[in-house]
Amino acid sequence: MRPENYQAKSQPPSNEYELNFGPNHPGIEGNYAFKVKLNGDEVLEARADAGYLHRGFEKLMEGRLWIQNIALVPRICVPDPVPMEVCYSLAIEEIGGLEVPERAQWIRVMHLEMSRLAAHLFAFGGHAATTGMYTPMFWGVADRDLVLDRFEELTGGRVYSIYNIPGGVRRDIPDGFLERLSSLLDYLESRLPDYDNLFFTNQVFVKRARDVGKMTQEQALKWGVTGPNLRATGLAFDVRRDDPYLVYDRIEFDIPTEPGGDALSRNLVRRAELKQSIHILRQVIDRLPSIKGPIRCPIPNPLAWNVPAGEAYTRVESSKGELAYYVVSTGGDKPYRVHVRGPSSMHAVQVLENLAVGCRLEDIAQIMFSLDACPPEVDR
Amino acid sequence: MSKELNIWLDNLLEDIESVQFKRKSSRRVRVDVASEALPALLELLQGHASYVHLSAISCVDWIADNEFELVYHVWSYETRSLVSAHTRIPRDPGVYLSIYDLYQPAAFFERDIHEMFGVYFEGSPDMGKFILTEWDGPPPMRKDFDSEAFVNQTFSWEQYHPQWLKDIEEQGGGITTRPEDVR
Repeated sequence: MRPENYQAKSQPPSNEYELNFGPNHPGIEGNYAFKVKLNGDEVLEARADAGYLHRGFEKLMEGRLWIQNIALVPRICVPDPVPMEVCYSLAIEEIGGLEVPERAQWIRVMHLEMSRLAAHLFAFGGHAATTGMYTPMFWGVADRDLVLDRFEELTGGRVYSIYNIPGGVRRDIPDGFLERLSSLLDYLESRLPDYDNLFFTNQVFVKRARDVGKMTQEQALKWGVTGPNLRATGLAFDVRRDDPYLVYDRIEFDIPTEPGGDALSRNLVRRAELKQSIHILRQVIDRLPSIKGPIRCPIPNPLAWNVPAGEAYTRVESSKGELAYYVVSTGGDKPYRVHVRGPSSMHAVQVLENLAVGCRLEDIAQIMFSLDACPPEVDR
Repeated sequence: MSKELNIWLDNLLEDIESVQFKRKSSRRVRVDVASEALPALLELLQGHASYVHLSAISCVDWIADNEFELVYHVWSYETRSLVSAHTRIPRDPGVYLSIYDLYQPAAFFERDIHEMFGVYFEGSPDMGKFILTEWDGPPPMRKDFDSEAFVNQTFSWEQYHPQWLKDIEEQGGGITTRPEDVR
């Protein structure tokens, strides 16, 4: 029962074979493929194959008004969309010389840290699933949903907020929001020991993730690694502290690091960052009520807004690493050029290709998730 | 330490000819450099001024000037400052040198720019297709590529007008105005 054009191909006897890993597999938050060459279970060569989520955002943005693009940018990274809005708005504010009111800056910090919490809960849950542990995944996703409830209350959207606009934020926080956020933080903090017991100190995970996908600090710097993945190699670098934006220079927080550089260290850094984000949010809750004033500065009619000619390169620390926007204006009502530098454009391509070599087939998904790679950031 | 390095950088950039340099803020420096001098400048920044992190390479199509602008954003973990080195190359033939030897992350950005703008980087490890695997048209991020016109030429709106929609429209519902009539 063979097709008519079937011809058997003779090959020399070998244990090597090629495998198409993806575009749909449990290792990644989206569609992303990997072509791996294997000898038995050992990976000899790996090539990333992107493009399954390419929607041409950069081209689309050139054809839309400055303000319309706010609805486009969060879609570039589904698990952590808020930094996209903020980074794009920061660039327009820099070009247009807009002064964001202090209250709006604090609200943005609150929004960003909530997004970081949601993204890290998603990331460690996803990583657990790649090692066959499904309970942490359900817990992570369920607790992330509670953060999404607060997003919905604050912005009207559960995932894509479209809340941070050039000049400030769209509306002020609802009455009683900070109390509800505070009780959510209490709940999430009380869950951290449970996560530890179930996942972060669980020997099933620890033994599985130790020394998997290991890189040294030197390699990490050479490959352009940023964010939690870089901090997991022992370098305490964080855009929030070292290249501060908004009011991060007035907030106290630690930069957790781990020395290992492996999948375990990367998860432990994210675990420590959950605590730091809760700590930052509590400071915002303390200080926000005393900061009065407008939530955005006056901007021209956004439907006929010619942003002055200029260019800006703005960076923020997203949950995945360094996110940057290069925006060029020629004085028109639409951007002339927007370039999105997603942290995953390094992590999901070169870093992953390098780390996969020498590992076993069953660890590829784990390495991918430990890097917290977000394919739409690569494809854009 | 960091202040001294910054002063050193200022002096260095003022000394080099064909380099225009502008401090935009305490942590942002803009450098405009001729395309022949850019690899040397980056080598200097990386080797002597600790700018070891290539944050991104951005490409801008200045079609009116018939030029591409390439912007190399490099970050120093020591001095905590970002240098954006701008250079322009002629749009035709659109060939430039790869900086992969200096910064490995350049491979991704150069491949991306080659795919989206058609700029060829000599010495880059892989100039093959990556994101637009099944695309054989012109590089889509060029300003002379009009995606809307391309869609209208390539696809027919009628093709997406199935029988069930016609049935609904006969009863007065559905998409009653076609997209091209709205525009």
